[in-house]
Amino acid sequence: MDDVVQAQTGTPPVRGAEIAVDGLAKHYGSLKAVDEFAINIRSGEFLALLGPSGSGKSTILMMLAGFEVPTAGRILIDGVDCTRLPPQKRNIGMVFQHYSLFPHMTVADNVAFPLKMRGVGRTERRRRAAEALKVVRLDGYGARMPSQLSGGQRQRVALARAIVYEPRLLLMDEPLSALDKNLREEMQLEIKRLHHELGITVVFVTHDQGEALTMADRVAILRGGKLQQLSPARELYERPANLFAAGFIGEMNMIPAQWDGAALTLGTGERMVPPTGAVVGTVGQGAVTLAIRPERLTVCDPVTPDALQATLREVVYAGAGTLLIAALPDGTEIRARVASASLPPALTEGETIGLSCPPEAMLVYGEEAAA
Amino acid sequence: MQNLSPRRLLLMGYVYAVLFFVLAPIVIILPMAFSETDYLTFPPVGFTLSWFTDFFSNSRWMGATVFSLKIAVLTAITTSVVATMATYALMRGAGRIGALFQGLLIAPIVVPHIALAVALYLFFQRIGLSSTVFGYVLAHSVIAMPFAVFTVSAALSAVDATLEDAAMSCGASRFTAFRLVTLPMILPNVLSGGLFAFILSFDEPVIAFFLAGIRDKTLPRMMFDDIEQNLTPIIPAIAVLLTAVSIFALIAAALLRRAAANRTAPEEAG
Repeated sequence: MDDVVQAQTGTPPVRGAEIAVDGLAKHYGSLKAVDEFAINIRSGEFLALLGPSGSGKSTILMMLAGFEVPTAGRILIDGVDCTRLPPQKRNIGMVFQHYSLFPHMTVADNVAFPLKMRGVGRTERRRRAAEALKVVRLDGYGARMPSQLSGGQRQRVALARAIVYEPRLLLMDEPLSALDKNLREEMQLEIKRLHHELGITVVFVTHDQGEALTMADRVAILRGGKLQQLSPARELYERPANLFAAGFIGEMNMIPAQWDGAALTLGTGERMVPPTGAVVGTVGQGAVTLAIRPERLTVCDPVTPDALQATLREVVYAGAGTLLIAALPDGTEIRARVASASLPPALTEGETIGLSCPPEAMLVYGEEAAA
Repeated sequence: MQNLSPRRLLLMGYVYAVLFFVLAPIVIILPMAFSETDYLTFPPVGFTLSWFTDFFSNSRWMGATVFSLKIAVLTAITTSVVATMATYALMRGAGRIGALFQGLLIAPIVVPHIALAVALYLFFQRIGLSSTVFGYVLAHSVIAMPFAVFTVSAALSAVDATLEDAAMSCGASRFTAFRLVTLPMILPNVLSGGLFAFILSFDEPVIAFFLAGIRDKTLPRMMFDDIEQNLTPIIPAIAVLLTAVSIFALIAAALLRRAAANRTAPEEAG
């Protein structure tokens, strides 16, 4: 697949749409599915809306598409107020979770459907549908019926249909969730390649954090209809804005501690002094949470200064990496993912080990951020 | 595993008895149409097609047939269109009156036709619709509606509602989305619902009895008149023709429904 990405480095044919969303809300009775949601999406950006089910991510997408009318707020697409515009007038490409191909039409007719709706002539429709099928690598599949295709092929057809009239905005509603793991990874790269080739703005809804981190330029984390964090993938992982984001993306050790403004006191009285940058947001004195990614921990001698002492409970060997599950003296579970090669040869369950991490790997969250 | 227990034998006997009593009259009446006698007799005497020729050459019979056909065709069209719109509204609409509306639509199955016929007769007399084509079409559509609603809703429930959303995201209006996506998929069932309506209307006797005027009579009404006055083998001849029409219509409806099943089923596998 790499060759294609490299072959397509010319200027993209379309400039992606710019989206400005302000104060967006959708209430169903007393339920606030989306509340005070605001975001600016740059032209050509790939944005992922990530959250558990019920977080409002799909509702936001449906409001962008025009299938849901917001209770409050505005949606501007390229500066035009689209808040109440019906979906067929928005010129948006959309890919649905279950492909939603028209089962009574051939693949070519499916792909040509948006062109037909725009009054494009038959020969021109055929030519452009064939071209779009080529872009998604389904050259020559035009005469088949959707029922004759595999899941991955159907999703490619759906993709071709969404991009055939060169929309400036592409919306995708968990498009890969119905595919198995290998196909999903392949399609992730495929969609990224298309985004790169076409230069259009993409808004992608997913509940799969790995997918969001892999594909998106920026990830918006949602919970209970509210935006939790909006950051590039790396920042999201390395410095989550709050405890929810910290726990939602990847694995995270959460160690309860007391904060006196300068140092942390852990459950059984160990004191640690984190670097000033470790404190996320404003943290008041009192109960806080110390968060450390499992892969930032390394095993050391228990007497090493500043190391956490822990009792080893389980050693889970998995080839290149090993997962160590241990308990701090106060009982808090702590996990470390270390390279198998770096481990001391004889680790026995029940022995006391030291766990240390670089100072910049420590993150301190206050109580209010725990929400 | 053939288990011929007494209970099973009893059940099979019962089923065949029912079939026998349903089919026997038809089996008896049909051969009478070919009898050379000018009264009804079984077994038939000789063989002639003259009763069929009589039927086709008699202007009163032909007039009634054309009148019935006209009503049946219009009923089929009205029923399939209204049933499709109503079913769509019931299944895709967000309204709360859906249950009530559905009850009203299928009520004619529960209400005895004679009660419906009397009510329609009194009502149509007053507003001048009695013995008009329009009146017949309205009355027959009411009777046929439940069957068409059932057939269409069976098809519509198999069509993914997001397909229309997908069509709209492609630039289609709600109506275009329905016309180009949903309608082609449910069309076989819409047509078979229309065929049912056609059959129901074409040999409907009860309402025809009440609504008939002096001149314009439907075929079943004419047959009643003829049975009272003459009772020649022209009646079994017409019965042969009506049975043939019904059988062809039912076969056509079954083929249409099978086409529908083939069309929508494979997509669900994904």
